[in-house]
Amino acid sequence: MSEIPSDITKVQSYPPASKPIDPVGIGLRHPYYREVTESPPAVGWLEVHPENYFGGGAHRHFLSKAREKYQISLHAVGLSLGSAEPVSEDHLRRFKELIDIYQPFNVSDHASWSASGNAHLNDLLPLPYTQETLDTLCRNISQTQDYFGRTILVENPSTYVAFANNEMTEYEFMNRAAQKTGCGLLLDINNIFVQSHNHGFDPFEYIDGINAGKVGEIHLAGHIEKEAESGIILVDTHSRPVKKDVWDLYEHAVRRLGPVPTLIEWDQDFPPLSKLVEEAAKARQIIKKVTSESIANAAE
Amino acid sequence: MRLSEVQKRFKDTMLDHPKVLDDPPTDFAALFESGDIPLPVRLKVYRNNIVGSLTDVMINSHPLLEKLVGRDFLEMMSRHFVLENPPTQGCLSFYGATFDSFIENYELAKAMPYLPDIARLEIAMNEAYHAPDDEPLTAKNLAAAPPENLKLELRKSIRLISSKYPLSDIRDFCMEDDPAKTMNIDTGGVKLMIYRPALDSVIVKLDEAEYAMLEALGHETALEEALEQTLEKHESFDFQGFLQRHVALETFSAPQANI
Repeated sequence: MSEIPSDITKVQSYPPASKPIDPVGIGLRHPYYREVTESPPAVGWLEVHPENYFGGGAHRHFLSKAREKYQISLHAVGLSLGSAEPVSEDHLRRFKELIDIYQPFNVSDHASWSASGNAHLNDLLPLPYTQETLDTLCRNISQTQDYFGRTILVENPSTYVAFANNEMTEYEFMNRAAQKTGCGLLLDINNIFVQSHNHGFDPFEYIDGINAGKVGEIHLAGHIEKEAESGIILVDTHSRPVKKDVWDLYEHAVRRLGPVPTLIEWDQDFPPLSKLVEEAAKARQIIKKVTSESIANAAE
Repeated sequence: MRLSEVQKRFKDTMLDHPKVLDDPPTDFAALFESGDIPLPVRLKVYRNNIVGSLTDVMINSHPLLEKLVGRDFLEMMSRHFVLENPPTQGCLSFYGATFDSFIENYELAKAMPYLPDIARLEIAMNEAYHAPDDEPLTAKNLAAAPPENLKLELRKSIRLISSKYPLSDIRDFCMEDDPAKTMNIDTGGVKLMIYRPALDSVIVKLDEAEYAMLEALGHETALEEALEQTLEKHESFDFQGFLQRHVALETFSAPQANI
């Protein structure tokens, strides 16, 4: 008999996910691969974009090492759930392979679109909040959930234009999508703040309007201010520390939603890893403060 | 306007000449709420995100081109490429696979006829880096396999390049980073194998015969036939030496069917 190698494709499946005990995580990005895997920082979990792991090699190597120590959340940017056309089967197939191997505790993408015709524009583009869009988004969410055999979370985007034919607010749109498809919501607090400035609405009202029972993850990130002749437009860049206003909004969200798994996102102009850990500690501090206040209130 | 039409118009506007954003057509502008910040400023945030991020993807995967033509030229060429060839899928790891043929037809690059081959080398390095994981055929596997059943399949990361320019010398020249130095690019061509034996892409120089043999194997030609084809053109091809060298390099994959 000839010898048959038993572990040909090196596919290893990890134990089923469980909700992280420490609710605050950070994004695992290429510049942090070695440090995170060699001296794991004190954070509760890691988030990655699955699209960066569709191939093999270094990316999967380090993700596999990281997964041995952390729970992970797979946060996609390429499903284009809001496109008029259906979700790419090829994208779903490669994504599901990662879900099967890495057993994430959360799987998510955005209420936005990127693909039209044969072009995929690599950005989270804005949707008109109409019944037609809602039906389209729900069809694509259901296609994805059926393919994965699990529910996903859908995130509110940052937008720089608002459509004139909107028939509902964004939070109503998100709530309806969740109600209709059974998906969860991923609430990006920075995106709410950025939009409240760009479109002129009350961000606290947005958070109060969201269906609290549906929120399965919160994101926090930094943005920049871009000056135009007639005012300032905020751009969600994930390249700066979380702003004070966004921390305040986050505290309000935690009061309403409880200690939901929270991510510090950083995707360009990468600082030392310690900066992300510091930001994570701030979020943890807010969760602690709110939790102890509510325990004290309940005891009174 | 139907959602599909809105998205098509938005996409076309983003990939159009930047001047269109300064004065968008009335029916397109009417799709959006007007506010304090003018529409062109708002639309440009999207355009910058899209074109900027994709141009960065191209620049980051072509460090040798950057050394040879400079950052500004590469950025301009990449931006033109992106606008004409936006990605067709949500995963960008393999984006830009046609950059070499784009450069071939790029008027401003015609004075540097070696650029497409440099791009080809960098595309191969990038594709090898992201190729799916697989296991190599080892000497032990080989010893255990009955010779009549021997099948040689290339690893998924293998890319073969034949160039009339000394690509690996040009690469070394770029890596040296000495602006005073010049090189003669007419010293003869090379045949190269690019692959990823572990985590990084590696370049191996090949002789004519082993290139021919690997190329035939890459086309899924049966071993015997590949060998025949190679011997036809290269009488002195040493198959045993080839096999030994490439098993040591871990060129071949070890699917179960091999054994």
